[in-house]
Amino acid sequence: MISLFRIDDRLIHGQVVLGWGSVLKPDRILVADDEVASNEWERRLYASAAPAEVKVSILSLVDAARQLKSGIFDSERVMLLVRHPKSVIALMDLGLAVSEVNVGGLHYREGREKVLEHVYLDAEERTVMRELVKRGVALDGRALPGSRSVMLNSLVV
Amino acid sequence: MSNEQQSTDVAGIIVTHGRLAEELLRTVELIIGPQGNLYAISGSDLCDENVIGGIREIIGRRGGKQVLVFVDYFGGSCCINSVRAVEGEEGIKVMSGVNLPVLLAFATKRGALPFDELVDHLVRRGRESVKVIAL
Repeated sequence: MISLFRIDDRLIHGQVVLGWGSVLKPDRILVADDEVASNEWERRLYASAAPAEVKVSILSLVDAARQLKSGIFDSERVMLLVRHPKSVIALMDLGLAVSEVNVGGLHYREGREKVLEHVYLDAEERTVMRELVKRGVALDGRALPGSRSVMLNSLVV
Repeated sequence: MSNEQQSTDVAGIIVTHGRLAEELLRTVELIIGPQGNLYAISGSDLCDENVIGGIREIIGRRGGKQVLVFVDYFGGSCCINSVRAVEGEEGIKVMSGVNLPVLLAFATKRGALPFDELVDHLVRRGRESVKVIAL
């Protein structure tokens, strides 16, 4: 069971582990990212950032979709983390049903424009967000569970 | 960032959330005076690439100095980015859980101890400084 599906370019970090973790008490953090999954050093680095009592899976998008759909995580509370908005589209195209995504952290970099305090989007990411809106996905712009949720759907069209 | 007023063998970079790094550096200097080769990077508002780039930029001009990178929270983004920034570099260590006593010890001991001993000393100092006060 996915208790949080979050886009965050930092993947596993303090806001996720402490901010969301203390509220959602996840059994597992699942990072779905081809780049991290294919690099053993990066996998170890992110796994080290999670609390000891939380299981960590770091999978390619294809493997993440397959494992989630297979039902092996149905009895667990899973935090699903992706780094890029386009990864959400990829997971949906691989058959994962998605109705809501938390847009938690897309930090400033050159070429990105500010949408919210912690959400900056470049032109390509904006296009991807529009596609998510078209597909009926609710975009919950929020860094932490207690912060005010700003629905991004109308801000990206 | 601080200027190069003091010649020391080990450089320090403080990398934290919020504005903690700048404030820690400012507070260290308030207590024991201006520091050379001690730098502050606050990561919260920067993307990962800029945090990593900032650390690497400082490392790039270290001129053979050993470098100790202090991060606030083990497992946080500042920690992850620091580890990533120094990957493959010799004579650089990343230490988490930075606090004021650690930095004061660093500033006063970095010219006096070999690098590895300095690091051990700072870890001990940090741990010793967290305690319940009983009189």
